[in-house]
Amino acid sequence: MEMLEEIQKLKDEATSALGTLKSTDDAENFRLRYLSRKGALAQLFEKLKEVPKENKPALGKSLNELRTFLENEFETSRNNLGSKSPTSDGSLDLSIPGRKRYTGRKHPLTQTADEIKRIFTNIGFGIADGPEIEDDYHNFEALNFPPDHPARDMQDTFFVKSEEGKYVLRTHTSGVQIRVMENNKPPVRVMMPGRVYRNEAISARSYCLFHQVEGLYVDKNVSLAELKGTIAYFAKEFFNEEAKLRFRPSYFPFTEPSAEVDVNCFICGGKGCKICKYSGWLEIMGCGMVDPNVFKAVKYDENEVSGYAFGMGIERLALLRYGIDDIRLFFENDLRFLNQF
Amino acid sequence: MKISRKWLQQLVDLSGVKDDDIASRLTMLGVEVESYENFATKYDGFIVGVVLEVEKHPNADKLKVCKVDVGGEVKSIVCGAPNVAAGQKVPVGLVGAMVPHNQHDPDGKPFQLTRAKIRGVESEGMICSANELGLGDDKSGIMVFDGAANQGTPLSDYLGLNDTVFEISLTPNRADCLSHLGVARELAAAFSKKPIQKRVKITEDGPSINESVKVDVAAQDLCPRYSARLVRKVKVGPSPKWLKDGVESVGIRSINNVVDATNFVMLELGQPLHAFDLKRITGHKIIVRRPAKDETKFTTLDAKERNITPDMVMICDREKIVAIGGVMGGMNSEISEDTTEVLIESANFNQSSIRRTSKALGLSTEASYRFERGVDPNLTIRALDRVSEIIAQTSGGKLAPGIIDIAATKFLPKRVELHVDHVNRLLGTRLATGEIIRVLESIEIPCDKKSETVIMCSVPTFRGDIERDVDLIEEVGRVYGYEQIADSFQTKLNFDTRFHGNTSLDELRDLLAGAGFNEIMTNSLQPADVAGFHDTAFVALANPISEDMAAMRTTLLPGALQTVGVNLAHGLKDMKLFEIGRVYVVSEKEQVIGRFVESPKVSIVLSGAADPTSFDRKESKFDIFDLKTEIERLLTFLKLDSWDFISYDTTKEYEQSLKLFVNGMELGIGGRVGKAALQKLSVDQDVYFAELDLTSLLALRKSTKRFKTLPKFPFASIDLSFIVEGQTPAAEMMNALRNAAGEMFRDISVFDIYSGEGIPDGKKSIAFSMALGSEERTLNDGDIAGFIEKAEKTMKVKFSAELRRQKN
Repeated sequence: MEMLEEIQKLKDEATSALGTLKSTDDAENFRLRYLSRKGALAQLFEKLKEVPKENKPALGKSLNELRTFLENEFETSRNNLGSKSPTSDGSLDLSIPGRKRYTGRKHPLTQTADEIKRIFTNIGFGIADGPEIEDDYHNFEALNFPPDHPARDMQDTFFVKSEEGKYVLRTHTSGVQIRVMENNKPPVRVMMPGRVYRNEAISARSYCLFHQVEGLYVDKNVSLAELKGTIAYFAKEFFNEEAKLRFRPSYFPFTEPSAEVDVNCFICGGKGCKICKYSGWLEIMGCGMVDPNVFKAVKYDENEVSGYAFGMGIERLALLRYGIDDIRLFFENDLRFLNQF
Repeated sequence: MKISRKWLQQLVDLSGVKDDDIASRLTMLGVEVESYENFATKYDGFIVGVVLEVEKHPNADKLKVCKVDVGGEVKSIVCGAPNVAAGQKVPVGLVGAMVPHNQHDPDGKPFQLTRAKIRGVESEGMICSANELGLGDDKSGIMVFDGAANQGTPLSDYLGLNDTVFEISLTPNRADCLSHLGVARELAAAFSKKPIQKRVKITEDGPSINESVKVDVAAQDLCPRYSARLVRKVKVGPSPKWLKDGVESVGIRSINNVVDATNFVMLELGQPLHAFDLKRITGHKIIVRRPAKDETKFTTLDAKERNITPDMVMICDREKIVAIGGVMGGMNSEISEDTTEVLIESANFNQSSIRRTSKALGLSTEASYRFERGVDPNLTIRALDRVSEIIAQTSGGKLAPGIIDIAATKFLPKRVELHVDHVNRLLGTRLATGEIIRVLESIEIPCDKKSETVIMCSVPTFRGDIERDVDLIEEVGRVYGYEQIADSFQTKLNFDTRFHGNTSLDELRDLLAGAGFNEIMTNSLQPADVAGFHDTAFVALANPISEDMAAMRTTLLPGALQTVGVNLAHGLKDMKLFEIGRVYVVSEKEQVIGRFVESPKVSIVLSGAADPTSFDRKESKFDIFDLKTEIERLLTFLKLDSWDFISYDTTKEYEQSLKLFVNGMELGIGGRVGKAALQKLSVDQDVYFAELDLTSLLALRKSTKRFKTLPKFPFASIDLSFIVEGQTPAAEMMNALRNAAGEMFRDISVFDIYSGEGIPDGKKSIAFSMALGSEERTLNDGDIAGFIEKAEKTMKVKFSAELRRQKN
């Protein structure tokens, strides 16, 4: 049975030759020597023709197995030649960290806005959008800011250079309320996020623009108690289960009654610290019941429906939530900042 | 606005009420107390001392060791002030006292005095400067008091500072609280006290005012009420201590006994007053009118010449303007040392007129601030009587009998009907009629019960902000307490499905963040030249904060480059950023809002390494194809199936640039940003930037197509390599191959481009990998051979391309 021995011998020899392959030239030589049409393996197949018939099936099977084995091994070895990866020398160092790739992130303000939207869409709010360059009517007048009213001083306004005073960079997203109600019959339940502008000197505490989310719910028998309950739900979702709220009477021309909402300072636990200006409370939004004059402006029947509206600054909520001390960081886009969120 | 507790106590009984309770109750009534300061406790541990001896410090040239009598005890105090001398009466802080302001600390943080050795000499206290006590800016030396001070007197007593001052921030509707009287009213309601009604004591003497003065109100629309009194034989001089301390305690400068009296009454009652020197009023006649055509200038009390416009209200005499009504008096009639006859004006002016005047003049005064918010028209007489009382008391003046009072109408309380069920419906409460009446009457709104459920309220004229039932409901809610209203959260499930928002933008953000991009947000305000460089039809602001932010952005590019610059400055070189934001232009046509167009854009910013160096691979820098990869990723995500890029060499923004076209529409531009733009921001590495128009892209977005059965037969993949002219665009060759494959086409990509050895000069070898397939069967050798033949022919005809035979 010398044929069988030859097969075994070829297998041993070829296997050890495979281990010494170092270049593509080596590989080509190996292929020519063992696997080519005139190589060692082909020669054995030639020899197979000469063996006695009764031995042919067994030897043929062995030879075919050897061919498959060598071809596979050769393929693997040849593929490994190209790269100098640590797998090629057999000692794989798995402690090497993976290759660095970019990890993307959404801006912290987007993340905060998304969270607010999620909380309110869960309870049935839709989402609407509006223009940033707004006319005086939608930004002020329809919201019950009469011309020459001191309430207009509450928001330092940028005017667009064109028909003086007629167009402004919106100072709040409340104008979208008007647009939504003008075009949709009640009931209405909608959130309105967007960019707003204030003509204020830029500092750690204020920027020339920021983002707001406005909420509006108009239906039969909407009450202040309902508004309080909804904001309490929001605060528990956004801050934590223990969030305590305080509704302080305030004034906005487009709501009556109006309130400012404070949450108990989660930094000092209400004992008083620098962030809450030693009051134990942090202001988070303004809100109130939609003023009848606003309903008149959008032709809703004030005797049929009532509603609440609220508005919060996304930057403010993000500043509070993350303890950020400078609003300008949001717009500098320093990656060392952005990558923290 | 500052409110003094001592002053409040004249108007309402606050005995036993803590400062903190006053602050929190006011805040919860909507009269926000921002802060308060208790001066008595602020100066705990500070007393008046007398310097007995001053000796040189044994170990320091600039220091002195003083013996100070602090009232029955002599302390040894080390002092560095150059002006310290024996015999002085000085403020002394004893061990344990908190010094309000550390003048050696940049933030001026307060610090506590301890028994300390200064250069080897023990100091038992500190002699303070005005700056250290927070009483002024002077830090050049210690404060020295005049002779009236006694050693041992607590400093707060000596300074008359045994008061608490509240800093109040008022919303524009609460004009009634712009006085101590108004705040006292709120406190009376909060603590269930009755306001203290003080009787004004005045005695009239001499001829009646009507014999000396005439008043004519010509512009009654601008001045609904004008009242005046006359005080004769006045001796103008410094105010007595109580009056000076009174106005100064709330931050008003003391001027003289007459002016201080008018300010004092304004602060107490809320009625702005003005005192004229009658001698300087020509013809002793006051005319309230609009300015004449030729009256265009007027010099106000502050010595500034003001421009007068025709709709302002002027207080005039027979010859000239003497005051801008409701804003400021003039130099030509002001009270001076030789004034003897004082005419006191107590008027009411139209709110919007005063506001327009104040805006036009760029001048906001204590008076204009109150008038534009609304002053009680029924306050004029009360204020006149009170100020006459004070002037008579402090200047020896004799009050002329009678009052001039010219009113457009009787100012009666407003009658407003309130339905109890409306109150409860809007607040979500179950208040009884009696409860509502009790609440309203606590803030001095008398109520009549018309029926079990209807209340008729008489709103006093000091609450000009209350006009409708809903305004009264707010009062009920506010005084009853928002805290007392139980939360309700039984939202009906009528989900509003009309408003979906732009979920596509959310999806794009997720896609890009997932693809390794950091989202950025940049300022939408830019310098006008930057906005104009990219698009001349930019939107300019009429009143920018600064030239740097005078226009709305016309592209996201400048913000992106600035961001790259900021990060490079911090040593971060590799970045992959995107922004979704609007750009703004003025269009030719009328739009929803004026002619303004706001278009949402997405930008892609690549700079630095596409693949950072790793242990086994070299770093590769971003290039234009990475930019295309990212754009194509977006287009693929939006399920667009064809698009074209057209390349340009140099544009004003780019050195290598591409425009994106879909269905013949230009939807974006991108490329390698030009060196000039980069240098401006000191960016010294390549930046690849693209900006795509989201309105059009999202409109073209294909909604999910119907499910397609998965291929039953495997694809055949073949590689084809051609030799062509070096300039032949790969995209065109790919299109030709795609068309040649027809129905069989599944996919194509370029896998190799080569020129050099073995390839003729000016030519290149380009290799494509294609996937072919069929819905009916597995492709056989014949199908493949047929395609290769067709492809070879097509490519030869179109591009003179030579197919390279595979060497098998």
